[in-house]
Amino acid sequence: MPGFLVRRSLTLLLTLVAASFLVFSITEFSPSNVARETLGAYALPEQVHLLYEKLQLGDPLLVRYVRWAGVLLGLRKDPLDNPALGLNIHDPKGPRYLGNFGYSTLFRVPVNQIIWNRLGNTAVLAGIAFAIIVPLSMLLGILAGMRPGSFLDRALSVASITMTSMPEYAIGVILAAIFAVWLKVLPGTSPLVGGTGWPLPSQFVLPVAVLVLYDSGYVARMVRASMIDVLNRPFVRTAILKGLPRRRVILRHALRNAMIAPFTVILLQINWLIGGVVVTETVFAYPGFGRMLLQASLFGDIALIEAATLIALVIAMATQLLSDIGYWLLDPQART
Amino acid sequence: MPSENENPNIRLLKKELAEGRIDRREFLRFATLLGMAVPAAYAFVGERPIRPAAAASAQGGTLRLGTRVKSLENPATYSWGGYDSNVTRQVCEYLTLTDRDNVTHPYLLEKWDASPDLKTWTLSLRRNVKWHNGEDFTADDVLWNLKRLTDPAVGSSFIGLVQDFLLKSVPNGTDKAGKPETKLVWWDANAIEKVDSHTIRLNGRVPQVAIPEYLFHYPALMLYPGDKGVFGAGSQGTGAFTMTDYQIGKIAAVRAVKTYWATGETTSWGGGPYLDEIQFIDLGDNMATGISAMASHQVDGLVVTDPSQAPALQAMPSFQLYKVGSAQCAVLRFHVDLKPWDNANVRMAMRLGLENAAFIELALRGLGTLGQDCHVAPVLPDYGKVPDIDRNVAKAKELLKEAGFPNGFDTELAVPSDIGWIVAQCQAAVEQWKAIGARVKLNVMPGAEYWDVWTKVPFGCTIWYHRPLGVMLLNLAYRTGVPWNESGYSNPEFDQLLNQAGGILQSGKRREVMQKLQEILQQDGPMAQPVFAESFTFMDKKVSGFSMHPTNYVFGNRLSLAA
Repeated sequence: MPGFLVRRSLTLLLTLVAASFLVFSITEFSPSNVARETLGAYALPEQVHLLYEKLQLGDPLLVRYVRWAGVLLGLRKDPLDNPALGLNIHDPKGPRYLGNFGYSTLFRVPVNQIIWNRLGNTAVLAGIAFAIIVPLSMLLGILAGMRPGSFLDRALSVASITMTSMPEYAIGVILAAIFAVWLKVLPGTSPLVGGTGWPLPSQFVLPVAVLVLYDSGYVARMVRASMIDVLNRPFVRTAILKGLPRRRVILRHALRNAMIAPFTVILLQINWLIGGVVVTETVFAYPGFGRMLLQASLFGDIALIEAATLIALVIAMATQLLSDIGYWLLDPQART
Repeated sequence: MPSENENPNIRLLKKELAEGRIDRREFLRFATLLGMAVPAAYAFVGERPIRPAAAASAQGGTLRLGTRVKSLENPATYSWGGYDSNVTRQVCEYLTLTDRDNVTHPYLLEKWDASPDLKTWTLSLRRNVKWHNGEDFTADDVLWNLKRLTDPAVGSSFIGLVQDFLLKSVPNGTDKAGKPETKLVWWDANAIEKVDSHTIRLNGRVPQVAIPEYLFHYPALMLYPGDKGVFGAGSQGTGAFTMTDYQIGKIAAVRAVKTYWATGETTSWGGGPYLDEIQFIDLGDNMATGISAMASHQVDGLVVTDPSQAPALQAMPSFQLYKVGSAQCAVLRFHVDLKPWDNANVRMAMRLGLENAAFIELALRGLGTLGQDCHVAPVLPDYGKVPDIDRNVAKAKELLKEAGFPNGFDTELAVPSDIGWIVAQCQAAVEQWKAIGARVKLNVMPGAEYWDVWTKVPFGCTIWYHRPLGVMLLNLAYRTGVPWNESGYSNPEFDQLLNQAGGILQSGKRREVMQKLQEILQQDGPMAQPVFAESFTFMDKKVSGFSMHPTNYVFGNRLSLAA
């Protein structure tokens, strides 16, 4: 196990370097540049040129990448954080520290000042959704998988396939139309601002509902398939033939084994909930990580995209590690 | 009542009015611009200044507006008048104010005076203006702000407006490749001069009639020098509110100050504040979000509304539509240095290929007015009357044949994706151009990407916001060699007429020149421009004191909420 952890950490580090370089090199193909973005659309070409030169943006890609990595590791000062440029860019933590993601040209603040807050908001949304999705989809999947082909199974299958095949955007707009515009029982947007007549908890209901409706069906289908598979295994048949009550067969013998395959799928939902809920966050104006990443990408805000990519990668690798450990605990065969 | 030291140009305007060569509105517009006091000018034409609806007796309350909360830190570099400056303008104020009728008033100024040659402008400050900390607002504050705005290193778009008037290019060594470089500096050490504690003088290099309008350009906010050009929660200002909360991408909140210098002022912009607080809430770019937020009364109004949101909002009885004609438009412009656009016949054929009137519905859902392919809107005071350009497919085909395209041609149109109606306009245009044989492929790109290539793409669609004068727009967009001349258009006759228009104050004569300029654009110009968008938005009916400004500006001190 310790050797495994070390190997995993090294892979993570390598992946981070490779991914950050890839994202960085994409800027080569984008026509915009940091100087233009910093000064805005209406700055004169002369002003842009001045800043372009001062920031040495004409240097080779690799040089600029190493420079960027140096700022991140706290070895160099952020070149934009320079009073001589007259840009009013100032990081309260100082121009040089470990974990300095630089300056967001879109939001015009240090990346660290915005990204953790957004990540926190998304974590709250994702946490609530996850806490509902997991038990709900497991319950539905187990119920459906216990008696494949039964009325309950068919009904659950049809419902979950329908919800999964509807785009999140459509679910969001339909829910908002019903509950916000027509019935007026819930707020139509979730900017997380109090005092608008709608208490904060009520602002979570619709975004969470969209995520739960969209995702539970998929996870439930996975649990169902695994349950059916396990129930057909010889050891279950043996247990039934031994004369154990059905309830005991399912809870003691089948369930644990049926959870091994969906466990990975369930943990993968965390990645989706952190980085992939762009649509839900946009529809409800939720100030989260996904919406921020979308805005940053459309704007070409390279510092923010880099930081978000690295953070999303770390989360992805961490959940993968978690799923490996879980697998290891659930499945004795994996321990050898 | 003629006075001895009256600006001769004002005397001229009075004469023109008397002879019926200009109308009352035009007289008001130019007389106030030249420094005639607004009440005096209105009195001269026998009218009263328009006052906003008197705020209801209800006091207090929190108004919530749906918008985008962008970065507010550096007002000098604001580039989204409707978004960033609307928060800051509640806290900090401008020297002048151009109202919804394009009439410019003194604001932090008591008055201004222009020399007869329009090169020297004397700005007299009000003496009763105070910063929130109780200090007097003085000429030193104005000097500090104007110096900052005209410093190229600060990067303000204000420079683009006053470049010819206050600045000049000087050699600045050579770059790495040995090419000579230039930099912008004041043309004279006294270009901006403090006369006394409450008077500033601008000594220009060339005549410039639009100085008061330029002082209302959205980055030209008067900031407290002690804040060093940075704006944030708690920053000093002279306005009716102070910012208490600011979270980028989420919320900006401003709270009324107890002692606002203009409380009780009876000017058309003064008075108030009546509200306790205004919250600007970020709703993102999604069109459905604005509608949802309005429907569940999370916001009382939207700062900027897209035509695609209008039908849903109009269907809800608790909201009021506010609109005003504006010169905002999206020009379908051709880069005249590149083929096939170097051929004037091709450009004319493209104009003839469009049924301009259809775009009012197709692109703007009725919230627009007819364009005439000349970028000057009839609502502007210096508009010269020119004929409409009607669709003529046969003529267009003939012109293309003459230009060497008997079988039509293929091209690509670049359009930014972030403004819904512009994309709709381009889609409709592409369909209409099929009839004349122009096969146009639409290239919809993110706004940020477009703004980096907008002056370079062979064929693009660019939004141009409202300006209070047509001559300002033509100077910015079509004069040879200016930075925002996105089409590379260069026509010595046109430039010469522009110079002429900038130097004449007699409106009748100026309009004759404008007419010629517009005709040149219609016949030879580098663009097609089918419609002008009206500025409009929706507010809850309980909001009073609101009126639509052509540039979507919100004046929070005038607003109040019914209980």
